[in-house]
Amino acid sequence: MFSTKEFIEASRSFVCVRLESYESPEHQELVRTFLNGRFENTAFCLLAPDGETRLTRSSRSPSMVLGATGRGPRGEKGSNEDVVREMEKVATQFKANGKREEMVLQDFHSFRQALNVASGDQRLLLFLAAEGNDLEVAKETVQPLFANEEVIGRFHFDQRDPETDAEWGKQIEGSSNASGYFLIQSDQFGQKGTVVAALPITADAAGIKAVLLKENEAFAAREERKVYSEHVSTGRREGIFFENGMPYGEDRDGDGEIDHRGGKGGKGGKGKGPRP
Amino acid sequence: MKLLSLTLLFSLSSLTAFSQGPRPTDIAASPQAVGEPGVMWYTTWDTAKEEAKRSNRPIFFMAAAATCSGISGVF
Repeated sequence: MFSTKEFIEASRSFVCVRLESYESPEHQELVRTFLNGRFENTAFCLLAPDGETRLTRSSRSPSMVLGATGRGPRGEKGSNEDVVREMEKVATQFKANGKREEMVLQDFHSFRQALNVASGDQRLLLFLAAEGNDLEVAKETVQPLFANEEVIGRFHFDQRDPETDAEWGKQIEGSSNASGYFLIQSDQFGQKGTVVAALPITADAAGIKAVLLKENEAFAAREERKVYSEHVSTGRREGIFFENGMPYGEDRDGDGEIDHRGGKGGKGGKGKGPRP
Repeated sequence: MKLLSLTLLFSLSSLTAFSQGPRPTDIAASPQAVGEPGVMWYTTWDTAKEEAKRSNRPIFFMAAAATCSGISGVF
């Protein structure tokens, strides 16, 4: 549904935010506000531009709120069309302001999470490593580029955070901790990556765009879509584990504690939670 | 763009098993070709709120995990 043309078109009238459920206590607290104190690994709501006023009720997914399942008996199939139609209705209530090329740049809390998400979405990640004035100039260069019709929604973008990303180069083949733009292909499990193109910090928008589009085309030609079941099976066989900021699992009774079931958990956790 | 788990969320939210969470065996590959434009996701709450206030666009809020039982690189 998120990958349908109709949904993607409708999404452009919204500021779409997708937070990693297990990244931080702050994210989980936000999820709990939408799920009546419970923590589950997904949550959904439409909000006004003030970020506070709820425009819909909240639940675990758009189809549960906006689709047929949001109105009918549980188990009734929701439709993408319902969701898109409801989104379009909501969007008409707001008149967008400002220039598109001034869109706020995407950012991640950490480079390692950016790699993980880029792998999950199977998009290339443009990573900006710079400091001081170079950083500001580079962001001004990239900002309109990421709002460009040919670029938007095709890539992820992150910039080096001096606190959380000091050793970002250790996760990457073909790079150092030098400054510049690094276009990175995340590996299968999003824990390492390879630089497919590097540009100096002085690169202009046209040059960056040309590289992005060229490398995206090459990436699309060599990358096959993951099959979730195969990915998870392989990950289990290989003992893949991503240390997140919060323990895996859910708190479905809303008592403030993860409903541990035993097994391997994340940081500080002992539980093996339900599958996302 | 691939949003396997989110695509999955939509398809499986219609099933009675949704409350138990989607099962990996139920999930197929995203039908969208790699490299095609997808949703432009903000990935921090602060940047999303800043953009919403700047542009006066409503917010489509999702929380999701890019892991399955700790196995990374998948939605």
